[in-house]
Amino acid sequence: MKKPIIEFKNVTKQFSLQSHKTFKEFLPALFMGEKTHESFTALKDISFSVKRGETLGIIGPNGSGKSTILKLIAGVMSPTSGKVTVRGKVSPLIELGAGFHPELTGRENIFLNGAILGLSQHQIKDKFKEIVDFGELWEFIDQPIKHYSSGMYMRLAFAVAVNVEPEILIVDEILAVGDTNFQEKCFKKMENFKQSGVTIIFVSHSLIQVQSFCNETIYINHNSLIAKGTTDTVCQLYQNDQLHK
Amino acid sequence: MYQHYSQNRDNSQYFDKYKSFLFFHFILYTSKYHIFKYQLFSLSHPQPLTHFLLLCYTLFMSSVLKEITSIFHYRELLMQMVSREVKARYKQSILGYFWVILNPLAQMLVMSFAFSIILRIPTNSSSNIPYSVFLFVALLPWTLFSNSLSSACNSLVGSSSLITKVYFPRTILVISTIIAKIIDFLFSISILIIYMVAYHIPITINILWVIPIFFIQQIFTFGLSLFFAASNLLYRDIQYLLGLILTLWLYLTPVIYPADIVPDRYRIFFQLNPMAVIINAYRQTVLGGGSPNYSSIFIALMVSILTLYLGLLYFKSREKVFADNI
Repeated sequence: MKKPIIEFKNVTKQFSLQSHKTFKEFLPALFMGEKTHESFTALKDISFSVKRGETLGIIGPNGSGKSTILKLIAGVMSPTSGKVTVRGKVSPLIELGAGFHPELTGRENIFLNGAILGLSQHQIKDKFKEIVDFGELWEFIDQPIKHYSSGMYMRLAFAVAVNVEPEILIVDEILAVGDTNFQEKCFKKMENFKQSGVTIIFVSHSLIQVQSFCNETIYINHNSLIAKGTTDTVCQLYQNDQLHK
Repeated sequence: MYQHYSQNRDNSQYFDKYKSFLFFHFILYTSKYHIFKYQLFSLSHPQPLTHFLLLCYTLFMSSVLKEITSIFHYRELLMQMVSREVKARYKQSILGYFWVILNPLAQMLVMSFAFSIILRIPTNSSSNIPYSVFLFVALLPWTLFSNSLSSACNSLVGSSSLITKVYFPRTILVISTIIAKIIDFLFSISILIIYMVAYHIPITINILWVIPIFFIQQIFTFGLSLFFAASNLLYRDIQYLLGLILTLWLYLTPVIYPADIVPDRYRIFFQLNPMAVIINAYRQTVLGGGSPNYSSIFIALMVSILTLYLGLLYFKSREKVFADNI
């Protein structure tokens, strides 16, 4: 049997919050032997795995730890205890356009962002036309992106991210942007990815989107894993929980 | 197989394995006071000190080499980041990249007015080098050092949106700002060359010493930058502290005055300050046409390597929590 592409083994993530922000507060606390920081548990003993080619939805109320899971998968955070194993190239769509520089042109930003997502110069050159086509940005490609509208900005970011040919695509609530036309295009692209065997991690508050798109879903609440299973059953459970609050 | 988290741990494991070993030798040496009796390098009959040095060497090389390979793997990103720094800097300014030359030139002109006409600081007595050139040879590398440090210090904080979203070796952020400053430096050297030609300063083969000296300076700068960048992420006080340190450091380094007017009893501090040694060495080789003081340069090299090693160790130990603390 093939090894799962993403594996969480008893993952716990704690953040330390500094409770004394200024020196005036910090110094006495240090001498009085008070704790200088408190810790906050964002994820508690979570285990699950994702098979290659699976489309996993993550649902749960705000602050339940969904974004932390995504950050652990993307590799920008390490777990406090437990183990996260990722066997593949990740393309994060968490808040698009993180690497954009407002003063640079669209063209320059495509190269910059491509490199951040792990493409070589050569690969970006090959894909350049496709990226600009997808974002419908030919007119503005040599303008600094500070003059872009927020929709154009998002289109550019999405166009770069989906052309990376990821093995794992992380999608976090981003399909709320852009006009309906572009949203449809994005869904079509993601549908293509799904067909071609890309593993997709999809976070959304819209149960309809999750239900139409994911085979498997995990439900997270109060920082622990409540349920994992087929999308329909898990969504049903989530809805019941919401109703009985 | 692609595992993000294994990278950082290896060094510490390696270190743990040898920690007791290191401690044992430390006790051994301090109790006997016999360090100098041991032959340093006899590999056929390895002495404890040889073991110790070899161990330090392996520890250093293992961590540095690992970092170099991971940076090499992301070299395209590094290039893009450097070009981002360079391209975006003077956008929407009329003079554009000319600022890179204008800035040190103006500084040099005003400072040489203040220190040669008003204060009359002597240059090297043997040769009659005009103060402006004397100052400029030292001021340019100093500006590089100080600019590199202050921009590297803010490099991680400034890229917080990247750090919380995408994985890549974080050292790239620090290195790219330093490389961008080196490019600035290379541009500003052109004025120095013009000055040197205009004042008929003889150029000898010894000027090639500049290359290794420059390398030592960069090792030192990089080591310190790693330390400041990582700690600034935790406490923003560090960037203000750094501003203060750099101002004071300028006066404790023979930039505006020659090294030989430093009283003898303070010399030792100047020997231990790599920047003092480096700046002095630039002067000796570029203007004096001589070779630098080998033992000083060696000490500076050792201090720089140690700084790089400790800086990298600290940076790596903090790297895992960068995204949590930003």
